[in-house]
Amino acid sequence: MKNRLKVQRAEHNFSQAELAEKISVSRQTINSIETGRYIPSTVLALKLAQIFGVRVEEVFQLEEED
Amino acid sequence: MLHSLLFPYRARYVGWLIFLPAAVLGIATMADDFEFDWLTFMFPKSSFLTDPDTIFAKGKPVEGFYWVNFTNELAALGIIVSLFLVSFSRERVEDEMIGRMRLEALQWSVVVNYIILAVLILVSHGFGFFYILAHNMFTLLLVFIARMRWLMYKNTHQPLETLAL
Repeated sequence: MKNRLKVQRAEHNFSQAELAEKISVSRQTINSIETGRYIPSTVLALKLAQIFGVRVEEVFQLEEED
Repeated sequence: MLHSLLFPYRARYVGWLIFLPAAVLGIATMADDFEFDWLTFMFPKSSFLTDPDTIFAKGKPVEGFYWVNFTNELAALGIIVSLFLVSFSRERVEDEMIGRMRLEALQWSVVVNYIILAVLILVSHGFGFFYILAHNMFTLLLVFIARMRWLMYKNTHQPLETLAL
């Protein structure tokens, strides 16, 4: 699964730490999601989309191998 | 992993504080048969707690009773309780990724523990196997702690270029 988290974060001018605080996770978790090392749960994906005010598909997209 | 089953963050420090004296006591009891006299208790021979003819029973013989010293029990329980506290205390920020790392470390430790045990079953026999089983009470938690700490270290020391603000 690929994601546009870093782009969305930049558009909303959030640091990793600020975004992490908003959804009660660690900064390392945000970093791991952005670099594709961690696939978040549905709840966390929906929370992130809600923070950015977009649909979850605009942040996370399935890839061919998924 | 359910967060409600985890101890508070600071419990890990309590765990290490208990572990150090308990481990020293455990080594002393196994290596030197060290015992605290005040931990010796008398049980009636009908007691279901242990076999009256056990080789570990000590003390002056009293008709119908036998003596049991609980020093090694204290050490074993101290080590188990302390390792539990260290293993299952929350991280500063306990989120779902940490939960997944816990599960991975737990699975890893079970696999490693039983591989070690399987090898030792093949190469050890007789009374030596008793000591292996005794140590095996702790190895699962010890391997879990080592694996979890390693995963946490890797997690907090991610490459600098990926830690963009």
